[in-house]
Order: sequence, then structure tokens, then C-alpha cells
Amino acid sequence: MDFEAVIGLEIHVELNCATKMFCDCPNRPGDAPNVNTCPTCLWFPGAMPRLSQEALEKAALLCLGLGAELQPRSAFDQKVYYYPDLPKGYQLSQAHLPLSRGGGLEIADEDGQTTRLRIHHIHMEEDVAKLIHEMDGRVPISLVDFNRAGAPLVEIVTEPDFRTPYQAMEFLKALRTQVRSVGSSECSLENGTMRVDANISVRPRGTTQLNTKVEVKNMNSIRHVGDAIACEISRQSAAVQAGEAVMLHTRLWDPEKKTTVPMRAKFEGPCVPDPSVPVIELSPGWIEKMRSRLPEMPAARAERLTALHGLSGEEALFLSSDPEVAGYFESLLAEGIAPRTAMHWLTTQLLPAVKERRLELSRSPVTPARLAVLLNMLSRDEINAGAARKVLGHLFDSDEAPEAIVAARGYRQVSDPTALDALIDKVLDAQPAAVAEVRSGQSKAVGFLIGQVMQASGGQANPKMIRELLTRKLETS
Amino acid sequence: MDSVFCYRDSDAAAAQGGPLQGLRIAIQPNLSVAGWPTEAGSHALANYTALEDATAVQRLRAAGACLCGSTRMSEFGFGLQGSQAGQAIARQAADAELVLDLMGESRLAAANTAVCGFKPSYGLVSRSGLIGLIPSMECCGLLSESMPAVRKILQAVAGPDELDFSLPEEAPPDLSPQAIDPRTTTIGVLSEAMRGLPGEQQEEFRASVHALQQAGFRTREVSLPDFPLCSLVHNVVGSVEASSCAGRYDSVRYGPRPPGAKNWNEMYLLARGAAFGPLLKSYLFQGAFFQFEKYEAYENACRIRARLLADVQQLTAQTDFLMLPAVAGAAVGAAASLADAYAHFTCTLFANVTGQPALYLPPASGARQAGFQLAGPRLCDGRLLALGEHLLNLRRGGK
Repeated sequence: MDFEAVIGLEIHVELNCATKMFCDCPNRPGDAPNVNTCPTCLWFPGAMPRLSQEALEKAALLCLGLGAELQPRSAFDQKVYYYPDLPKGYQLSQAHLPLSRGGGLEIADEDGQTTRLRIHHIHMEEDVAKLIHEMDGRVPISLVDFNRAGAPLVEIVTEPDFRTPYQAMEFLKALRTQVRSVGSSECSLENGTMRVDANISVRPRGTTQLNTKVEVKNMNSIRHVGDAIACEISRQSAAVQAGEAVMLHTRLWDPEKKTTVPMRAKFEGPCVPDPSVPVIELSPGWIEKMRSRLPEMPAARAERLTALHGLSGEEALFLSSDPEVAGYFESLLAEGIAPRTAMHWLTTQLLPAVKERRLELSRSPVTPARLAVLLNMLSRDEINAGAARKVLGHLFDSDEAPEAIVAARGYRQVSDPTALDALIDKVLDAQPAAVAEVRSGQSKAVGFLIGQVMQASGGQANPKMIRELLTRKLETS
Repeated sequence: MDSVFCYRDSDAAAAQGGPLQGLRIAIQPNLSVAGWPTEAGSHALANYTALEDATAVQRLRAAGACLCGSTRMSEFGFGLQGSQAGQAIARQAADAELVLDLMGESRLAAANTAVCGFKPSYGLVSRSGLIGLIPSMECCGLLSESMPAVRKILQAVAGPDELDFSLPEEAPPDLSPQAIDPRTTTIGVLSEAMRGLPGEQQEEFRASVHALQQAGFRTREVSLPDFPLCSLVHNVVGSVEASSCAGRYDSVRYGPRPPGAKNWNEMYLLARGAAFGPLLKSYLFQGAFFQFEKYEAYENACRIRARLLADVQQLTAQTDFLMLPAVAGAAVGAAASLADAYAHFTCTLFANVTGQPALYLPPASGARQAGFQLAGPRLCDGRLLALGEHLLNLRRGGK
């Protein structure tokens, strides 16, 4: 039987707010355990939750960035479950009245077709504490770290529109791009600022019913999401093929064994509205204010880059998919660098160098201003491309100005005709065979001779001038 | 330790200055005072000490009041079983008391000790630092023999608090003294509440109504046909909220942890089984049942509550105040069951359901009249207190 998968995603995104969602404690989960805590986020009796304005704004921007419709009224409920990571017995979450409804993203499918994948709703909720399981000698102990307790989250719940692991992965990439662009979160599965649960069921292709679904958790990269979904689809297809029933439950992805394993179901009941957190009423004016704060979104930016700077659609999309890269590109242009040069140096030199050094573009010591100075020297023929690449390497390790590095390390291009003449004469004397080849009409040898002169100059000769002088010499003599 | 107080502050200094200077106020151990035992009458919080002062406590101190200690209370303030509310005043150990009002506890404690008992509007007093049970209904009630003392205390504690976002944004009502003109004041006597009284009590209540007429007030009977549903709504909504809120008492960080559990789940079961008394336990069971097995009952109760609110609003538009009895049937003692507990509070819990202010006034000494309740529209606490002051003043021969 030919099966089709029906997949929906539940995506938790940790907002990059300065404080937690309901108190003023710093939102820095990585700090030493339990330092960022107060009676409110320790959930002590008597402490009242106070919704952070920043969390609401960052959540609202995220919703708008995903094309969702902010609701005029939303509210928090007490989502009851008992587990040691939630010692107050309930999590504040918007179960009945979410912050936004609708929305979605367009992706390019495997066959190149544009597919729209819809979002059902987006709601806010507080994160729970982190459990750390250790051994105290031979006794297993569990420790609770409250730094993460009360951290601001949104949960994005999609429609069951996905049919393939590929669609899920592309959706997550597109979502990450949009959310990074609005600046609400880093959205990294690797560092836990994005967590994805996939709900998967299968049905015979061509039918329309929704069968019992299985939830899969614990994927730590977008690739793992794809692998876990693919694995679960084949597991369920095999089960149905063998006449077994699919049971509603949760499974964990095991990245080592590349398989999913069942986990204990979590006890969860219907939610009770929490009167301690006021209902959130968003006026049309406030929503418009948020909309006006949206930065240029990737699709619009790509369009603008193509129109303004003559980039190809592919180049523009590549730049726009990461707001930092796009911002860097435009900063270079603002410093007077030609679009093609900026594009070329950014993609072939700077980004690989940043990645190789495990840096982030925003924290790289090679700021757009410094790179622009270097590229301007290149365009003025003060240095050649090879030297510029070397200087770029130095810029990562030194605070010196590019000019200073060029001067101190002798990277300045040799453009003095007399000095070049002497070098060329030496090379022509040493390479009679190549000279003869050129004269017999084999122009390939010209390149070889240029290379020899360049080498003799220690890489600093102006290649354009070598070619000119060399050609003239070979023609005249 | 004495039979009334569970904690006395021996260092409580007479504060200098402020509108509450010299006033001794007893609280209950569910209102946080940094360093005081704060067990809220429950094993679930045994040996728990508050970390910070509740907003109400800060404000009382800032106004010059002397917090003299906390009195024994029922478990989480639910009902009056084990409560000594009112006794600090009766023994002249305090001039006023703060008593949690979940379904009328502050007003019935006042009735038991023949003092004034006032439940403010929901949202008038910050709940920050209050260890509650039913967040949509609870409020710190005030007990005192003196109506001006009640008003001054409310003046000190009422109003917006940056630690309690659930308080309404509108300015708090004017709580300064104001004149009441009986000739232009209509008091609606709630017939459904009156009809539930046994014969003799009904006569005494009618005598109280008559006394108001004698004082020049216009009275008329008004009807709220759904009044009996208040109890049902309170019971369902209150127990569900209580069940959800009491989830935090898991013995992980406070309260005793019985030994012998093999895993965390067993630890929860053992600890929670040992933590709560039988009355509260049955309330939490009931709430869990409605939440997990009969959620539609909870939703219906919420709907009826919204309707009751609208009906009461209509009534209060026709009259200035509502009058109704406080106690129906026998005097309040220990409640053995949930049904008993609810039976005792039939006449008071409406104000917790609707969030409106309600005042218990004790009977005039020597008269064959009953004490009774007056209620006003939500956030019209100033007018209601003025009426109470006016009536007590009349009894003392004032005008």
C-alpha cells in the first residue's frame, strides 16, 4: 500500500528578552544554577506573576513576522501537570485565547513548487525549570535549576499541512529566517532556543481522514527533525501494513541509533483561566505600532537588493535569508564598495573565514568598515587580490588598521614600471622555452610567464601591469 | 502558644505618626510578613517562613499600624473550622483584624463576635503576598468594632500595586468620610435571601429592616431569582481554582515530606495525602473531578457566574444598596463536610462570586434585631462604608 504522511509541528521558541516572562529576573539560562531567581519565578506562595511588556512585544513581533493575526483579546490559563520541573503544579500558558491565529510561510518544495504551510495559532507561555540528573556516588540524584523557570516562550502550532520531512525542514529554515529578522529569537535547535515536536500520522495516499498521531520529540537540529519524521513515517507505515493499530503516544528521537523510542505519557488536563494575570487587550493602534516596528522582511529585502544592485535572485535570497549577512552587505555598499565586489568577498572570503574561526558575523573583529578599507585599497590597485586575502587573515588577529598591516608587512603592490621591467627581464632570460612558445602563437604560455614574474615579486606585483609590460616586450623584441 | 494567636510579634513597636498610629492589627498567617511563620493553617506549609512582606503589610506599617501577630486560621482560610478570627478583638488584644474572605469568613467571624466585618471589592486590595486558595474570589476582609477604623485601614491598603497586575487600572474609589442622606438612599432587601431564614430569624431580620425605615431610609424588596445558584457556582468554580492552585504543595521545597517514597510520583502522592485536612482534601478532590472529568460543569458555572454578575448589576442600578441576612440557620461551628461549610455561607458567598463589597453590621445591643449584611456595587466601597458609619452613629445617638 502506498502511504502518505500527515505532519504538524509544535515549535517552542525562546524569546531573547532581557528578563523572564513574569518577573524582573535576568533571562540567562546558562548562568550558574539558581542565581537568576526570585519568589515569583521560584513560584513561592503569595508571589504574583507580572507579564513583561518586552515579552509581549517580542512575541507580537514574532507573530506579525509569520503573517499571523494578533488577537484583540488573549489570556493566560493554568495548565496543570505534575512534574518536578514545575513545582507549582501548573504552567501559565494561553490555552483558550492565544495571542495570534492564522499565518504561515511559503517554501520551495522538492520539485521547486511553492507550497504554503499554514500556522494554526501562536501562544505565549512560561518555560519550566531544568532538571539535571546526576550520580552522587552510586545514588542517582536529580537537581532542579530555576534559571530557566519562567523564561519567555512562544509556541507556534501549525496546521497538519506537511506531507514530507523535506517540507518540515524547509519550513523550519524559513521560520528561523523570519524570526531572526524580526529580532525576537535566535531560533537555534542546537542551543535550545527552538524546540520542535512533530505530530505524525499516516494514511493510504488519496484518502483524507486524519488517523491517530504520534508525537516525536528531542530533535536537536533541523536535520534531526527530518530524520526523525522520516523514521517515524516508515515505522508507522510498516505497522499499519502489518495490521497493527497506531496508539496515541509520545516518542523520543535517539540521534545515535537513528530511531524513535516510546516515552511515558505526560498527565495533562484542561486548563483553568488564571485571574491573577490580566486579560491582554491589544488595541488596533498598538498592533499598528508593532507592525511599523517590523524590519524589512527577507522576501522584500531580496526583491530590493535585486532591483537596486543587480544581484541575481539566488544571490539576493542567500543574502536576505540571514539579516546579519544582509546588513553586512549593505554596510559595505554604504562604505562605497561595488555590489559585485561586496558580494564576491562576503561569500567567498569573509563568511568562510568567520565560520572557520567559529565566530558569529556580528562578533567578528572584521567589521564592515575595516573590510571596506581593505577592498578600497584593492580597487585603487594599492594591493592585489592575493595580498588582500592575506591582509584579511591578519584583520582577524590584529586590531591594526588595514593600511598599517599592508605597510608593516610589505603587501603594497609593486606598480613601479622600472622595478617590474627588471623582474620581467630576469624571468624572460630564465624561461627561453616559454618565450619561444609565446612567439610561436601559443598564448597559454603568457599566463605562465605572468605567474613567474608574480612569484619573483613575492606576490606583490600588480598583475595588470605585468601583463601589459610583458606583452609589449614580447611583441617588440 | 496561646489559643488565639499562632504567632505574636513581641518587638511590635508603636509606630510614630501616620493615620493608623496606635492601632493594633492582628493578621492571619496567610499574609506574608518577612520572617514570620506563614503556614496558612495547613500542614502543607509547615515551617514555611515568608521571604517578603505582602503589599498590604507594607502599607499598614507605612501608615503607622502596629502588627501584633497572626491568629489561628482554618486551612488556607477555607471555612471557619479551627479559625480564631475575631477572637483577638474579643479579648482586646487587637483593635482590628485582617481575615481572608473566600466565601464570607470575615463577615461570619464578625457575626460570631458581634463586630463589624467588611469584605472589600475584588481588585481593590493587592493580593501580592497573600497565600490564597481561590484567586478569582478571595480578598482580605477587615474586622473591627469601629467603622472609622475599618475605613482608615482600607484607605491605607487599597489601590494599585505594581506587584499585582490584576488590580483594575481605574482609580480606587473615594474612601474619605462622606455624608449619607437617608431620604435619597434606597436600600433593596433581597427577598430570596430573606425567605430562606427560619421563622424567628426572619422576624429579627424584618425588625432590622424596620429600623432602617425608622431611620428614614427608603427600602423595597428586590428579587434575584438566581440567588440560590450562587452557592453552586461558588462550589464548582472555587473548588476547580483551589485544586489548580494547590498543586504547588508538593513537599519539594516546603512542607513535610513523608519517608518511604520510591520515586517522585510516590513522593507527591504521600506528601499531598498527608498535607491536607479532610475538609480541604474533599474540596480539592471535587475541584480535580470537575477539572478533569466534568470540565463542561466548570464552563457552565463560569457562564452562570457571568449572568449573575449582569443580574446583580441591574439590581444595583435600581437601588443604592442591597440588604440581606448574614447567617442562615444555626450559628457557625465546625463544618464536618463541604455541604455543611457551604450551608453556613449561603448568605455571604454571593459577594465573592460577584466581587462586590459587603459589610456585616452587628445588631444594636439590647434590641431584638439581627445583624445583617449590606452590599454595594463593585468599587463603591466608600459609599458602603459611609452607610455603615452612618448607621452605627445613629445607634449611638448621633445624627
